[in-house]
Amino acid sequence: MPEGYLPIFIYLICAILFPIVLLGLAKLVRPSLPGQVKSEAYECGIQAASNARGRYTVRFYIIAILFVIFDVETIFLYPWAVRHQKLGWFGVAEVTVFLLILIVGYIWAYRKGALEWV
Amino acid sequence: MSQYYTSVDHFVLVPAILLALFGCAVLLFDFLLFPEPRQRKYLVWFVALGLVFTGGALWRQQHFLSVQKIDSITAFGGTLTIDGFALFFNWIFLAASLIVALISYKYLETAGEHQGEIYGLILLANCGMFFLAAGTDLITLFIGLELMALCFYVMVGFLRGDRRSNEAAVKYLLLGAFSSGFLVYGFSVLYGLSGSTKLAAIRMALESRGASDPLVILALVTVSVGLLFKISAVPFHMWAPDAYEGAPTTVTAYLAAGSKAASFAFLMRMFMGPLAPSRELWEPLLAVVAVASMTVGNFAAITQSNVKRLLAYSSISHAGYILLGLIAGNDTGVQGVLVYVLVYVFMTMGAFLVVAALRRKEMLGEDLEDMAGLVHKSPGYAFLMLIFLLSLAGIPPTAGFIGKYFIFLSLIQTGHYVLAVIATLYVAVAIYYYFRIVRSMFISPLTDRAPAATSLGLKLALAVTGLMTLLIGIYPEPFLSLAQNSLLR
Amino acid sequence: MILLNLCLALPAAAFLLLLLVPRSRPGWSRWSALAASLVIFAVSLALLAEFDGSNGGFQLETNIPWISAPSIRYHVGVDGMSLWLVLLTTFLTPVAVLISWRHIAARVKEFYAFLLLLELGLIGVFVALDLFLFYVFWEVSLVPMYFLIGIWGHERRIYAAVKFFLYTMAGSVLMLAAMIYLYNLAGTFDYGLLMADLVSGRMQLGARQESLLFLAFFVAFAIKVPLVPFHTWLPDAHVEAPTAGSVILASVMLKMGCYGLIRFCLPLFPTASRGNAPWIVLLAIVGIIYGALVAMVQPNMKKLVAYSSVSHLGFVVLGVFSFTQLGLDGAVYQMLNHGISTGALFMLVGYMYERRHSLEISAYGGVATPAPMLASVFMITSLASLGLPSLNNFVGEFLVLQGAAQANFTWAVFAAIGVILSACYLLWLYQRTFLGEASDEVKSHMFDLVPREWAATLPMIVLMVWMGVAAQTFLPSIGAANARILDRMQQGVVMDVKNTMPARGTEVARAR
Repeated sequence: MPEGYLPIFIYLICAILFPIVLLGLAKLVRPSLPGQVKSEAYECGIQAASNARGRYTVRFYIIAILFVIFDVETIFLYPWAVRHQKLGWFGVAEVTVFLLILIVGYIWAYRKGALEWV
Repeated sequence: MSQYYTSVDHFVLVPAILLALFGCAVLLFDFLLFPEPRQRKYLVWFVALGLVFTGGALWRQQHFLSVQKIDSITAFGGTLTIDGFALFFNWIFLAASLIVALISYKYLETAGEHQGEIYGLILLANCGMFFLAAGTDLITLFIGLELMALCFYVMVGFLRGDRRSNEAAVKYLLLGAFSSGFLVYGFSVLYGLSGSTKLAAIRMALESRGASDPLVILALVTVSVGLLFKISAVPFHMWAPDAYEGAPTTVTAYLAAGSKAASFAFLMRMFMGPLAPSRELWEPLLAVVAVASMTVGNFAAITQSNVKRLLAYSSISHAGYILLGLIAGNDTGVQGVLVYVLVYVFMTMGAFLVVAALRRKEMLGEDLEDMAGLVHKSPGYAFLMLIFLLSLAGIPPTAGFIGKYFIFLSLIQTGHYVLAVIATLYVAVAIYYYFRIVRSMFISPLTDRAPAATSLGLKLALAVTGLMTLLIGIYPEPFLSLAQNSLLR
Repeated sequence: MILLNLCLALPAAAFLLLLLVPRSRPGWSRWSALAASLVIFAVSLALLAEFDGSNGGFQLETNIPWISAPSIRYHVGVDGMSLWLVLLTTFLTPVAVLISWRHIAARVKEFYAFLLLLELGLIGVFVALDLFLFYVFWEVSLVPMYFLIGIWGHERRIYAAVKFFLYTMAGSVLMLAAMIYLYNLAGTFDYGLLMADLVSGRMQLGARQESLLFLAFFVAFAIKVPLVPFHTWLPDAHVEAPTAGSVILASVMLKMGCYGLIRFCLPLFPTASRGNAPWIVLLAIVGIIYGALVAMVQPNMKKLVAYSSVSHLGFVVLGVFSFTQLGLDGAVYQMLNHGISTGALFMLVGYMYERRHSLEISAYGGVATPAPMLASVFMITSLASLGLPSLNNFVGEFLVLQGAAQANFTWAVFAAIGVILSACYLLWLYQRTFLGEASDEVKSHMFDLVPREWAATLPMIVLMVWMGVAAQTFLPSIGAANARILDRMQQGVVMDVKNTMPARGTEVARAR
């Protein structure tokens, strides 16, 4: 049983070593001129660290939630797609029911104005 | 129909399908058929229709069981089981949902937050409860629990403009998610122990492992934490008073009755099923929890001035009483649990309904003082509340007494004398705080003359709860035999 | 048989009927309550005709199943003891209606509704022959009394009502636990079947078991009697209750406790009863003397009468725990006597309160001048209460003392002190309130009895005399019933209960 995991183990070792080796090599060859701006995670865009109580408009959350819902939907469709030949028409019917429920939710969100930005 | 979905599967699933279908339909009808806010109350009739259809499906199942003289119908390879136990609880859920739907429109209208979604949520929560009572598979049970709980998180925070409602929803959500985490962790251990998510298979695996296995103990403790949270037993009761107080009163009624009944169904399935082999472990554990619930619930209720909080603490103590039936564990005890849950649903909903009736636009009507002299302005409400409170306190000839009687009987039959004496003595404590409400209603002078709310739905709901509370107390025979036939074996 | 059920059905029906009477018509409530209670009294009088006084067993029984699974039956019946208590209840209810006629001005309809519900509970307690049914009626009688005190009482009514309720409840829940324990042993709540099982030895109680069960029952009843350390709710409840409430409380409700002792404690647990008798008798005698002494120093009339109740009921408990025929007969007779004479005392004090609006003895004095009839009636009642021969209490106290003397002469000696003391506090009360110079206030407020008051008072006076001179009307049937209980105490005959169908539940077998 354990020897079956050997490839995974080798893969794990490689995955750990790869960034260490690369970063170590880069450290050796690159010139080192640290500065305040340069040491930040991103040199442009929004600040990496700020007050935790900063506020976003609530619409971002709604959009984010909607995104998650419909994103997860596709994940649920994947297993069916893999097995759809075996499941046959029953699988189609199941997925249709699933999608219909989501569509109800979609219509509801649409009519409630969740998709309007302004 | 195919091998994955046989006609038996369908037969078992119909109630859930109907509930989900009507739940989705109500969400759409809200703006498709009744765009005007004042038309929203017609949705109640759709909910009622959906519940009646569901009831029809349940009745067919009940009929099938009795005609075929079989104990249960199993579907989906053992993930769902319709037996007397599941049907018994489902009848309770239907009644609770119907009552809540009937009173919600008036209450929410008064609170200025009458949205059609509440009806969809009620039906979907009921759908979750169906799976809690009928599920015999960890995953089915967990999905049922989450479906129910998610609907409740939203319903508790339904009064968007009310800070207390928001606070209650957040508290309930966070703690609920936390306890679900424990529960799932326990489930994963159970799965690891047995290699199956089916309750029957888990039971067999645990039987062969013996009770003292540390993994079994780990699973037992974590699953217990999740379950005890749901029934708001001490020490996992902290959310209950806040959630009960902040939620719209009609939702509080649903939370106290429907959610609690469903959680007890779940708890019974787990403790009488897969966890039954480790009874020697959980019996003392639950005994401590039950006594602590009765103690904390009863004594904390004494000092409350908010009626909803008071009833919340009383519901914690009732959870303790119901657990005692499970601790006794014989047939009388299980029958006692069923009868008690049935009785509890009607009496506690009734009490919350009366509180809901006192809500006005500018006044919450939840304080003990708001009830002062209620008998002068609405004697009907006052007398109904009296009946509910007498029943909650367990004074004959109301239903609550029958429930308590069975619990005491089962404790004495199984030799738990100390628990029996503690439980009986707490009745006297409970009377003290229930009668604070009675005193306020009947003896204190009337301070606020504005009439209490009334509506057809409210009258209907109060009539049903009041009638059942008296009927089960005076003529319990049919309900007892129904419970007798619904024992979990 | 139908009559006894009518005695239960009519108060229930009258209660529901009264709820339908419009609130705006207090007169209707009064008259319908009076009519209903008189009809119930008439029906209960008809019981006498059907009752065979020479038979000590239960008669006029009804025994039908109520709940099948834990076998609970609607089993009612009366014997020579409970019959008179039922009559006492039905007799005093119309009296209570009459004396509340003017006294209760607010929320009249509810008052009479609760009064009739109370009557239902009280009658039920006396006729129930199923332990479960007994408990149900026991609790049913609590709630209306809570409201009678709590709504229509005096200043500290809420405190008194809650105290009354909690004391009684705390005792009775343990009794419930004991009942369920007995059920678990015998498989039945039926009194007759339980007795049969105990006597025939089918059900054996261990000594410890029996004494714990005895205590659970005893404490519930002792609180209700009330026996001395449990008596503190009584003065509060009496003082704060409205007149009708005090009358029913003193006359009938306290008898529930005494009745329970005789009906359940003695025959169900004879060994434990005998074993515990010495300290119970001690408490009873302490109660007799302590109650009388405390009554003597009360500045409040109602409190005085309340403490006199404690003293008088000590006699009842003494009689019961003397385990002699005379003592038991005297105890039961004293229960009835106390119901009439102390009830009348509370009634008369209530009349005085209605006129003068004070219960303080110091507010009176010389009342006999403006109200001579009231004074004479009060005199007769006081004499009856203090045990003057040819009035009712004398017979009861005499029998109790005789019975106690048979059992233990010292008991009788100490108890007899109570008789003397009762003369002291009652006559002194009379002297301070009715004799002397009448102040202007007394003169202007106190007027004599009005016809309605006469209607309530006269029957009581008649009964006092009748029970004093013609005790033979009552004693034979009481004696026959008590003889059964004493037989049982001597481990004698099976208490035969007619018409006992097989009522045992099957679930005892089921419950492992």
